Amino acid sequence: MLEVTGLSAGYQGKDVVHEVAFHVNQGEAVMIIGSNGAGKTTLFQALCGLLPPSSGKVLFEGKDITGVPAERIARLGIRFVSAARHLFPRMTVEEHLLLGAYPHKPDPGTMSLVLDLFPRLAERKRQRASTMSGGEQQMLAVGRALMSMPRLLVLDEPGTGLAPLLARAAYEALNVLRKRGLTVLVAEQQVPLAMAFCDRGYVLENGFIRLEGTTKQLAANPAVRSAYLGVT
Amino acid sequence: MIANILDGIVLGLQFGLLAAGLTLMYGLGGVLNLGYGQIAVTSAMAVAIAMDAGIPTLPAVAFGLLAGGLFGLILDLTLLRPVYRLRGEARVLLSLLLTLGVSFIVDGFLNWRIPLKALTLYISGGAVDILGVPMRRGSLVASAITLVAFTGLFIFFGRTSLGRAIRSVIEDEEGARLIGIDPKKMLRLILVLSGVLAGLVAVTRSMVAPVDTQSGLSITVFALIVTVVGGLGDVAGAFLAGIIMGIVNVIAADYIGSYISLIILLTAAAVTILIRPAGLLGVKE
Repeated sequence: MLEVTGLSAGYQGKDVVHEVAFHVNQGEAVMIIGSNGAGKTTLFQALCGLLPPSSGKVLFEGKDITGVPAERIARLGIRFVSAARHLFPRMTVEEHLLLGAYPHKPDPGTMSLVLDLFPRLAERKRQRASTMSGGEQQMLAVGRALMSMPRLLVLDEPGTGLAPLLARAAYEALNVLRKRGLTVLVAEQQVPLAMAFCDRGYVLENGFIRLEGTTKQLAANPAVRSAYLGVT
Repeated sequence: MIANILDGIVLGLQFGLLAAGLTLMYGLGGVLNLGYGQIAVTSAMAVAIAMDAGIPTLPAVAFGLLAGGLFGLILDLTLLRPVYRLRGEARVLLSLLLTLGVSFIVDGFLNWRIPLKALTLYISGGAVDILGVPMRRGSLVASAITLVAFTGLFIFFGRTSLGRAIRSVIEDEEGARLIGIDPKKMLRLILVLSGVLAGLVAVTRSMVAPVDTQSGLSITVFALIVTVVGGLGDVAGAFLAGIIMGIVNVIAADYIGSYISLIILLTAAAVTILIRPAGLLGVKE
């Protein structure tokens, strides 16, 4: 479904990620794990059109989307939930969800799915995004992305900045969506959280992919265990 | 005093509508349009020329509004293109310089070709008694049109999906892009819309006082002051600030003198920045 080859990107002519290659198959949940500063956010920004890559290729459903602007990639069916969330502070929960479906009319089935998944959003329909807690804002960012019925959901650090209980709840909601056939690509530094959720993964270190494999293989790898799982 | 307040509201509604156009351009695209008053004047001159050619008032007004919208569109398609390539402060500064240039060109051209032309739309009929104050019919018609325009803006931005999409760009441009909204398209739409609004203000203003080829600068200055007080990118703030500044202006002119009213307006704007940097209704980011 998504195929990335030789992707390099960075800021002011200096690459932060180098020659990255990975793929995501239809229906899979794939993680990119790595510590803070490994280049996960840069990689996702290049993938989703916020940052033009300096070289490489991104194919989505066979179509070349390398360097295509973010607004067009979003319309092709890839929704990116940034770690910065990028909500609209003075707009209400309901307005966010309606906008998520823009330019189409929101699908009532999708709307009730999102509200079932995140009952807090249903309770706070008229509340402005700026007055919500971090966990609620994260739910809103995911809910807004889901409203468009994306084929691929890309999440940057969905568990970061949340209390452990809320982070787990966020991943549980993602699990519900996976069972409905949604394809998910997630970057996470809280590796145990992502491992409980994903089929496969890649380890990103200093901008390079160092390892790849099924979650089981990665969890058994001594280097991964000591660096990310706290096992010595 | 009641008479002053009513006159202030008449003036303030027009201030508010001007500021709404200016604040939308700034809030959405970081474009500070110092040629805004000249768009209004161009609209007014288009109406005047059409009426001189024997075209009835309503079609002539429609022609004037169209001219205002077209002015905005042409700015978007030509002069503002290099502006859009910049970000942040540089974008504001270049837009300010280029549109200031536009204002000189328009002023110069109008003073060269039609120096004596002015638009006055006379609304016939006697004064109407409001709260014991006789109000000119022109003022009432102008205010009614402005109120209808504001209602339209509130419905558009509050209830329609396109209006929400435009607001989302003002709130967080990157967030809007990530849900498939193209900020450039929204900005083009706002330039056309604010051009039409400038035209509408010129037309309604001409029901109260003549709009001539020299009016551009003062229109821009009033719009700028009200925009600062109302907060950037906030139509409701522009509405409220317009009315408050309109009343302040009329009372200051009446009790102290019109030569000083602009200074009082500027003082009010400066005080607002000190007390509420994000505008009257603004919230801290």
